Amino acid sequence: MSAITFDRVTKRFDNGQEALSEVSAEFDSGSMTFLTGHSGAGKSTFLRLLIGVDVATRGRIYVDGVDIGKLGTRRMPWYRREVGVVFQDHHLLPEHTVFDNVALPLRINHLSEREVTSRVRGALGRVELLGKEHLMPTQLSTGEQQRVGIARAVVGKPKILLADEPTGNLDPQLARSIMKLFSQFNELGTTVIIASHDIGLIESMQMPTVYLLEGRMTQVGETSDV
Amino acid sequence: MSKEANPRPKPATQASRKQWPIPKRRLSWFFADHQRAVSETFKFVSLKLGSSLFVWLLVGIALALPAALRLAQLNFVALDDGWQGRPGLSVYFQVAADSSDIVEVENLLQQNSSTIEVRLTDADQALREFMAASADSESLTTALSTLSANPLPASLQVSVNNQVTVDQLAALRLQLLQKAAVDDVVIEFTWLERLRSLTQLIERLGWILGCLFALGAVLVTAASVRLAIDGRLEELRVLSLVGATRAQIRRPFVYFGVFYGLGGAIVAAMLLAITLSAIETPLTALLGSYDLPVQVRGFDLPFLGSLLLMGLVLGVMGALLAVKQRIRGAQEAIY
Repeated sequence: MSAITFDRVTKRFDNGQEALSEVSAEFDSGSMTFLTGHSGAGKSTFLRLLIGVDVATRGRIYVDGVDIGKLGTRRMPWYRREVGVVFQDHHLLPEHTVFDNVALPLRINHLSEREVTSRVRGALGRVELLGKEHLMPTQLSTGEQQRVGIARAVVGKPKILLADEPTGNLDPQLARSIMKLFSQFNELGTTVIIASHDIGLIESMQMPTVYLLEGRMTQVGETSDV
Repeated sequence: MSKEANPRPKPATQASRKQWPIPKRRLSWFFADHQRAVSETFKFVSLKLGSSLFVWLLVGIALALPAALRLAQLNFVALDDGWQGRPGLSVYFQVAADSSDIVEVENLLQQNSSTIEVRLTDADQALREFMAASADSESLTTALSTLSANPLPASLQVSVNNQVTVDQLAALRLQLLQKAAVDDVVIEFTWLERLRSLTQLIERLGWILGCLFALGAVLVTAASVRLAIDGRLEELRVLSLVGATRAQIRRPFVYFGVFYGLGGAIVAAMLLAITLSAIETPLTALLGSYDLPVQVRGFDLPFLGSLLLMGLVLGVMGALLAVKQRIRGAQEAIY
């Protein structure tokens, strides 16, 4: 069963600009896929629709068989708790410690402090940041900040992990280590979709790739086809 | 793996509708969320104590003015009640009224069951009192001494018990005016009417100013909460993305409103206490000169409780206004 299905999805903004046109795609449960294309190709819009931040103008998006366009504002938060999101610029809260940043989704979800501590330490361990939980984000390097962002995205054990240009600000070596982390989470059964325009990095990963050009899906296949 | 085109959309089945259901609320979640919101609010207020004090002062002033008018109204009503304990009338005789006619009227009044006291001021006594009161004016004293006859009439000051209504006093007045020796009868309710008019004026003014200042308090709180929201937009966006519900996002800001409102009400109570303390001496002197009770009524626990409740309600209203205006767009601007 597909975890995610885009069925002829079109997104047109108020100014008339069409960010996505009739895009159809399926993402199997537990798969890891790259979403690539030039700036403005519609990658971020694709992810925004999947998070439920934007609503498709036409077409439907199904996640685990549910049309997320019909979730409504009350059910949407519960859906989002199953989706981890990683951003290019981390979106860490500067006045909170690393621990509190990672713990945010768990506290929202009313987990006990004991469970929060256990899970946060586990997530920080996976991104190799144990021992830095009491630091503030500004005390970390860019790569470390991105890893905190990833820890926050995965700490709630989401079914789907979305990343929007997660290596955009990183040097090639750090970028590869971040990609390795995504692969590890994917191996644990998480469906991963990574939006990136770094073709070199995508080729090196040898993963399925969806290519977007001016809002239209032009190619689907292994990285070597792109 | 991803596949292109012609995906078969999977309509929402009964089972899939059960995905991401809204769970039943647990009491422990409720308390945990509120505890987190209160803790965040304390943290924010303590970090920005200067601006929080400023907001409290603004809300406090906005609440203190209508509260002061309410106190004034309560005390005017009390004065009104105090005056009603001593109703009465004054009977003025013709200038050359015969003493036997005066005694007859005096007896008539004393026989009236509602009369408490009848005090006679004869023409000579009235002149002496007038001369004493006009001692500062030499020309007036000289003019009075040149008069061949006393121009002032005798009069009776009558106190009646407080069961007597104004209508009964008016009937008694008409009865007394039938007497040839009686020139005029003045029922002592002019000052009462003025007091009642003043009380009504203060009451209406209190309502109008109360509404205006309450609106002011709501807007001040809304502006302050809005600033707090603007300062935490990034956090709100992240919270929204990780699955915080609307209530979880709004709650800390509603507590800001509670803090600002209650803080403002406490400041208002302090301002009123200081004001009452400052005017106590002159007020005692003024009311004492009218032989009226000098204790300020109304500034008690129920009043302070109402003030706190009002602060709370206005603070929450301001916070909800700001939340409605500002948070709505936050989710859409996640990245």
